[in-house]
Amino acid sequence: MDILLNDDENLIVDSAREFLTNECPTKLVRAMEVDAVGYSKELWAKVAELGWQGMCMPEKVGGSNMSLVFLGLVMREVGRAIAPIPLHSTAVATLAVARDGTEQQQEKYLPDVVAGKSVWTWAFTEKDPRFLPDAVQMSAKADGDNFVLDGTKLFVDNFPAADYCLVVARTTAGSKGEKGLSLFIVDAKSAGISHTVLITLAKDKQSEVVFKGVKVPKANVIGAVGGGWPIVERMLDRGTALLCAQMVGAARKDIEMAIEYAKFRTAFGQPIGAFQSVQHNCADMQMWVDGGEMLTFEALWKIDQGLPAKMEVSQAKSFCNEKCEAAVRQSQSIHGGIGFMMEFDLQLWFRRVSAWTMRMGTAYEHRARIAHLLIDYPGEVTLGRPLPAAATA
Amino acid sequence: MDFAYTAEQEKLREEVRGFIKQNVTPELLHETDAEASTTPDRPRGMSPKAAALYKKIYDRGWLGITYPKKYGGQGGDRLTQYIVEEEFTRAGINISLGGSGAPAIMAAGTEEQKLHYIPGLIKREITFALGFTEPHAGADLANLRCSAVKDGDDYVINGQKMYTSAAHFATHIYLMARTDRNAPKHEGISIFLFPMDTPGITVRPLWTIQNNPTAPVGTTYGNGRTNETFFDGVRIHKSCLLGEENKGWRVGSMGLNLDRVGASRYLISVRRDEDIVNFVKSNTFDGFEPGKSPAIRDKIAEMWIEAQVCRLMTMRSMSIVERGGKFTYEGSAEKVWAPEHGVRVTESITQMLGPYATLLRTSKHALMDGVFGHNVMGSFQSGINHGSVQVMRDQVAKRGLELPSSRRSKTGEAK
Repeated sequence: MDILLNDDENLIVDSAREFLTNECPTKLVRAMEVDAVGYSKELWAKVAELGWQGMCMPEKVGGSNMSLVFLGLVMREVGRAIAPIPLHSTAVATLAVARDGTEQQQEKYLPDVVAGKSVWTWAFTEKDPRFLPDAVQMSAKADGDNFVLDGTKLFVDNFPAADYCLVVARTTAGSKGEKGLSLFIVDAKSAGISHTVLITLAKDKQSEVVFKGVKVPKANVIGAVGGGWPIVERMLDRGTALLCAQMVGAARKDIEMAIEYAKFRTAFGQPIGAFQSVQHNCADMQMWVDGGEMLTFEALWKIDQGLPAKMEVSQAKSFCNEKCEAAVRQSQSIHGGIGFMMEFDLQLWFRRVSAWTMRMGTAYEHRARIAHLLIDYPGEVTLGRPLPAAATA
Repeated sequence: MDFAYTAEQEKLREEVRGFIKQNVTPELLHETDAEASTTPDRPRGMSPKAAALYKKIYDRGWLGITYPKKYGGQGGDRLTQYIVEEEFTRAGINISLGGSGAPAIMAAGTEEQKLHYIPGLIKREITFALGFTEPHAGADLANLRCSAVKDGDDYVINGQKMYTSAAHFATHIYLMARTDRNAPKHEGISIFLFPMDTPGITVRPLWTIQNNPTAPVGTTYGNGRTNETFFDGVRIHKSCLLGEENKGWRVGSMGLNLDRVGASRYLISVRRDEDIVNFVKSNTFDGFEPGKSPAIRDKIAEMWIEAQVCRLMTMRSMSIVERGGKFTYEGSAEKVWAPEHGVRVTESITQMLGPYATLLRTSKHALMDGVFGHNVMGSFQSGINHGSVQVMRDQVAKRGLELPSSRRSKTGEAK
């Protein structure tokens, strides 16, 4: 047991931070907020040279087969720099291909991913915003060598940039719950797809994507037809933990700005950071972000170890949702009026962290999952030891 | 980054659990829970049954694990200590030397003092009452007035100490007193170690809100009794001085940081989390099933996550110590989060169980021995004792985040 970063982990963090400090000024972040596609192709190509897209990909497709903890550390730095690159959506989708796709699917798609030549995303949510199997209504009907997809997906990340999109749909008409769901690799430029970019708090690219008679080859199903839920759930868990990593990275930078500001901004004849109420606010912000960070990396580490990690993922997201939001809001408060002026950079972090707390599961949803694992299985629970639920989950 | 223990460490954990199962009974726990003892005139030192238990634990090599063999310890590592301590704390037995005076004696004691005190402290043959707080010196401890005046080869002590919890059964006292009235307040303080049966010492009980009925084992701060201790011309030899004269402030803080590292701080604050989950799993009140209430389920999950943060903060501190590093703020952060979490979970439970949470030990209809009611009176104490959460937040801000000192507090700065 040693939960601090080891030398290799520190090396990745240092190099990623140095790279993004040089390559990702806030000028670029601001430019991409008003860009139609929303990401920097140049930066995307450069991070491919560093191997970020292929970090957790198998070696046979050119990846470096590293653990999720490493990717989490990189995502933390991407969050810290609020870098406008579609790394999160690409990682969520392509890790599902790498972990649960066939050899052919991996060989066909993943080398381009590793090379930074393709951008991926995923589409789960429809009208019902919850991350539960019942929320998926979209139909996929078998038709010869194809499935035909009809329905509407919401909050699809980076869709204008995407070459491919993983889509969750019902292959069994009238099915409910976990049964009858399948996961498809869909060419984002397929006939029958249209999309509308939503206007969001983060000014990022979240789309409504409409599928009308979209043909997808049967060879593009990941896993068994109708048996997609476990694959989807793993995809969402990895994605949620990685989003937390990105969130704590951004929140950390945000509170550092407030702490620095408190050291030189004077009022009533002294730095505001000398006032105890400000000091205690700062101490709380630090502890909140620390807590979110430790929960997040324990979750990623457990996934890496092949241990049950639903509990840990939900712990991290629920905590980060509430505490990272509180941290960046308090950081705004310490800055006073200047903090919410467009020209001042702090708001770039505030709006993103806030938006990320609302994606991939609310605190209530995640806590419902935790309560289920804690309460609905017989046997005593002990903090820090495997749950009785782990035997059955 | 590694969140797991080695197979060897897991095996040790199992051994400790097996030992506890075989040797520790609830009756024995009430006896060993000496701090909670309300008997005004119990003999000093441990009761015979408790002594027998500690002897067995000592024989297994589980006392003083991190202390050098030369001083009666095991010469082991902190992680081993942590694992063993975690299991014993969960069972209600304190095997750590945190708050015992031992860390400061190791840091500042003479060879003779180490050889005299450390083996005794490890075996629990010596116990210290801690004489820090006074009526006018609590969080601002450096204001203390209790005086030690040099007289030939002796010091003569006069003054009053508050909340000397173990004073009615401890064999010795670890006393902070003023040796130079004219020096700045942090610079005229010294520490003395001497037996409690030295003439001139009077111990008077202070009964806490946990007394009558006394709290069940496992309550967060269930002590029914603490004391005030008076020193009236108490004459001690100069060899009782720990460290240099007038350097007591530094000596005291040497012991403090390492004192705070360990399993007990977080464990005393998270046990109600486990209790409430296990309770709602198997209990109903006629038609009311608390484990099915969406509001209760949400709150339980929220509290569980916080408890995990407490556990992780402790693991972080352990990791830092294992690497031989120093804290800037991490120990203080633990000391904010765990106590405040303990209060939040305790108060949440009162709103899940309603009037049942008012019931104390021995009452008819009390749930789990009345622990939830007693915890209402005890959990907040954890945020007061051994450095209040307010002082701890100051330390996070100043040491961890390097925020400046207020211009008003140049003389009375939090340490």
